[in-house]
Amino acid sequence: MKKEISVLMDGELFEDEAEGLLNQIKRDSAAHKDWEIYHLIGDVLRQPEHIHCDLSAKVRERMQEEPVVLAPRGHAVKQKIRTVALSAAASLVAVGVVAWMSAQITPETFPQVAMQQAALHPASVQIKPRSSDYLMAHQEFSPSMDMSGGAAYIRTVAYGIDGK
Amino acid sequence: MRMRAAFCGLLLSVAANANAESLDWLKVVAFAAHQTDYSGVFVYQYDNRIETSRIIHVVEADGEHEKLESLDGPKRKIIRHHGQVWCYINHKMVQVDSQQVRIRFPAFLPEQISTLSANYRAEQIGVARVAGYNAQVILFEPKDNLRYAHKIWADTGSGLLLKAAVLGDKNQIIEQYTFTQLQIGGNIDRSWIGATAPGDSLPASQEVIKGGTPINSGWTVDALPQGFKKTMEIQRPMRGRRTPVTQIVFSDGLSAISVFIEPDDGDEDNVSGLSSRGAINLYHKVVAGQLFTVVGEVPARTVIQVLDSIRYKDK
Repeated sequence: MKKEISVLMDGELFEDEAEGLLNQIKRDSAAHKDWEIYHLIGDVLRQPEHIHCDLSAKVRERMQEEPVVLAPRGHAVKQKIRTVALSAAASLVAVGVVAWMSAQITPETFPQVAMQQAALHPASVQIKPRSSDYLMAHQEFSPSMDMSGGAAYIRTVAYGIDGK
Repeated sequence: MRMRAAFCGLLLSVAANANAESLDWLKVVAFAAHQTDYSGVFVYQYDNRIETSRIIHVVEADGEHEKLESLDGPKRKIIRHHGQVWCYINHKMVQVDSQQVRIRFPAFLPEQISTLSANYRAEQIGVARVAGYNAQVILFEPKDNLRYAHKIWADTGSGLLLKAAVLGDKNQIIEQYTFTQLQIGGNIDRSWIGATAPGDSLPASQEVIKGGTPINSGWTVDALPQGFKKTMEIQRPMRGRRTPVTQIVFSDGLSAISVFIEPDDGDEDNVSGLSSRGAINLYHKVVAGQLFTVVGEVPARTVIQVLDSIRYKDK
């Protein structure tokens, strides 16, 4: 099975064979897991910097917990017709949202999101006050001094080197 | 065919001119930053924080005087004159730096401009209004992902930098500073020069009495990111250190990377790791009793690459 999945991912199966296998993957959860793992491996090999873990299971879990509200509740008997109309309207909106979302999810967006997460990570650790001395020592020789003059020094004193 | 070649040639020369013109703006901005009297309030945005500061810059017969003061949060103040820097620490002004080695002027030497144009595409991308002044907007786009993009707004009248942004590789703002109020020339407060108030006297520090001395330390960076060139190698005293620190500075024309090497004093802050503030990334590592620190206004991957390739070679 694993070998077949690998061959399928390499695009080496005929169309009818591929279709059969894909149907099998849909039904067999173990095969489906393999299919996901193989894709993750492929992604890691292609972009080792940006893939951290397999998020799909977590995303699915969270989505199941999300309440799905498509129509307003209450006064069901009195305003039955109105509720139906509203829920129809809400469904239309939901369809619109889904259509919009699928339009947004192009192959490029996923790595972009992953990269932004990677880029945000280091910013969470703030430079320690003691290290401000290094910033100060660095600043004097930085070309940023040539452009903005002393304003560039704001980096070295941003929230206090007091007390150290 | 010849027509097309001529057209391409024309396009190329137009592109080259645009680049040269943008680079000329840099020289104007650098000149204005040092030669103009100004006083203003600017906002500095970084890491989801916003800080407001006041800056006063005046040129006297004995050189430039500059005062930078925070307007919110704890009191912070920096006074600079002639490569000497005083900082408000523990309720008094302390001298933290004294550099005579740098030739401060003229800024942007020709070799710096040529390094810069090898690493960035410079382009004038329009005009805008900042703090009531008309500004020329210039974008410096890096040719690789080892450096940030820089966008500057220069006053079309005085050449002063009115706004500057550092952008990441997804065009997100890493840090930005913007003047909200600015007075250029005219009657600017000079009463703080020479430090008349008793509490504000500017003593020469015992620790940092002299600046750095140029040396050849024997340390090199094997995998220096493309486009960076060594601009300085000194041995310098640093506040709170018993032994002098080796500092090597590399520049790509717009941003710089400093490498610091010193004996590890066992301080708990010396643990290996990456930290950042705005566009600045800092990376520490202790190896064989030596503390290595790499600081620069470059992406994290760049400081890591530099630190991990520091090597001692025979002088």
